[in-house]
Amino acid sequence: MNLFQAFKMAFKSIALKKTRSFLTMLGIIIGVASVVIMVSVVAGQNKMQMAYMEMQGNNIVEVNAYSQTGQDMDQIINDYVATMGSDLVVGLTPNIQLYNEMIIRYGGKTFSTQNWERWEDMIQVVLANDKYGVCNNYQLASGRELSYLDMETENNVCVLGSGIKEKLFNYTDPVGETITINGLPYLVVGWYQSKSVQGWEEVDNVIVLPYTVNRTLNKNSDINQWKVKCPTSSATSEVQLRLQGFLDGMFPVDENGNQQGGWGNAYSNNTWQEHAQESAQMQAMVMGGIAAISLLVGGIGIMNIMLVTVTERTREIGIRKAIGAERRSIIAQFLIEAAVICGIGGILGILIGCAGSLIAGKFLLQGMILWPDQGIVLGAFLFSVVLGVIFGMYPAVKASGLQPVVALRAE
Amino acid sequence: MLIEIKDIYKIYNEGKESEVRALDGVSLQIDRGEFVAIVGQSGSGKSTMMNVLGCLDIPTYGDYLLDGTEVTELSDRQLARIRNREIGFIFQGYNLIQELDALENVTLPLIYQGVSVFEREDRAMEALERVGMADRAHHRPSEMSGGQQQRVAIARAIATHPPIIMADEPTGALDSKTGRHVLSILRDLNTEGSTIILITHDDGIAAQAKRRVRLSDGKIVSDEALKEGAVV
Repeated sequence: MNLFQAFKMAFKSIALKKTRSFLTMLGIIIGVASVVIMVSVVAGQNKMQMAYMEMQGNNIVEVNAYSQTGQDMDQIINDYVATMGSDLVVGLTPNIQLYNEMIIRYGGKTFSTQNWERWEDMIQVVLANDKYGVCNNYQLASGRELSYLDMETENNVCVLGSGIKEKLFNYTDPVGETITINGLPYLVVGWYQSKSVQGWEEVDNVIVLPYTVNRTLNKNSDINQWKVKCPTSSATSEVQLRLQGFLDGMFPVDENGNQQGGWGNAYSNNTWQEHAQESAQMQAMVMGGIAAISLLVGGIGIMNIMLVTVTERTREIGIRKAIGAERRSIIAQFLIEAAVICGIGGILGILIGCAGSLIAGKFLLQGMILWPDQGIVLGAFLFSVVLGVIFGMYPAVKASGLQPVVALRAE
Repeated sequence: MLIEIKDIYKIYNEGKESEVRALDGVSLQIDRGEFVAIVGQSGSGKSTMMNVLGCLDIPTYGDYLLDGTEVTELSDRQLARIRNREIGFIFQGYNLIQELDALENVTLPLIYQGVSVFEREDRAMEALERVGMADRAHHRPSEMSGGQQQRVAIARAIATHPPIIMADEPTGALDSKTGRHVLSILRDLNTEGSTIILITHDDGIAAQAKRRVRLSDGKIVSDEALKEGAVV
């Protein structure tokens, strides 16, 4: 008996027992689909996180500090950072994200900072200085950054992110136009290129104003968020450590673990990135383990059903042996049957896994187009087929070893 | 001599209290072209006899020479080859594979023999025509009467043109008319040179054979030549 014939027989036997074959496949389908989806989702999540960090830019230290005794923290942080020199610090900007409601208008179009129904239309107003672009990884598309003079004279000017620029101006150049924020006019002096990071489109919906206009827009006039851009990764760690040490010295911790006189801390996204990577790896391992177990369960299902099949078909095996089937023909028939069932189950599982990944990408990862990794798909498929062969082996060997007369007696 | 068995024993649960001697020292010779009926009551050991002769079962003790080959020393694979090429089986319960149609059932031994795709369908059809079942080639066993199923089973047994055909109660589940038809096919095959071994409990059916071997309690109690042409 040749291989082609064996395949034909296997397909035939599967087609004749559709329900049972499908139930057998179900284990593999669910196993493979869950492996594909889990791995894809974890990979997508990591990709998004990495993209977010990329977008944030490397080598940035975020500082938060608040003094309960009314000290001018902006002055203190500026003075301290100024002592560090250009080999450690490239730029420093206040980075105050305003959360009170503001209405932005231009030419009959209106947007709000509080549009919770359509987050993609929600605008973030940030108070900063001329180093905002540098410290947030933005590149100018046209016009200019805020200038030192804008701070000094509290000019009503602004720089737009590409998202809000498109919403207000479509494809025309906004430089020289005037928008209103809560009725006050602001002259657009420049706009940033899109960071175009999938899943984080709203970062382009930013309007940057000179921090000195704080008083007119922000009820709380204190400045307590900054970003420091450093030239290298080692400088970043250094600056982060120094700033944290400085703030710890300023607000010493009492015996209850509370900072006194205010609070302050400094993060660098480099350390954050490392943590994120570690936790992502952990996550991938845990998810992979769970997925592997579900595949294994599917495989055991295959083994079960193959055993039942063999018991059910003992008489058929007897007939086949009586008319001259060799042992290896019987083994081949059952092995191929198992492999084909697993193969079909694997392919269906991959299809469902791909669909599931795309759906998960759309709803869980903010519309990310999540195609499963080809290696994972191939691996899951091969694994399911190999599983079928391994688990099909035992019952096939068992069946083929029967004496024909014993097998024929079975009913 | 085509078949020669010497002191064959088939013992179940040997040495225990429940020991059963299905064959208790049987010796028999069957020549090419014979039509032998092996008769006996239920439990006489005649089915065990056929299983041993048909290489479906291995005797506990004894020698079995098939066409000069010592069968008891053959490997599983060689036994499969003998069952495929040397012997055609016809069972009481037909033993057709329910999921396959008549033609596929008849093709099966040819597949195991390794006959090419193009040839085996023709040969299977030829065998079906021989038993008058060509028009039912694509019917499943469940769509056929008992007599038709048995004719398909005969077609399967003769598809590889084996020199020996063994029939175990081939008419047991059939009415007398279809039973006679099946027997006449066997007689025709014998006329054409096949060696037929017929297992039955019915002396009337055994009378169709040329020689009658009677078994009782696992032993041969008589072995006689019969007159030809007896009619049931």
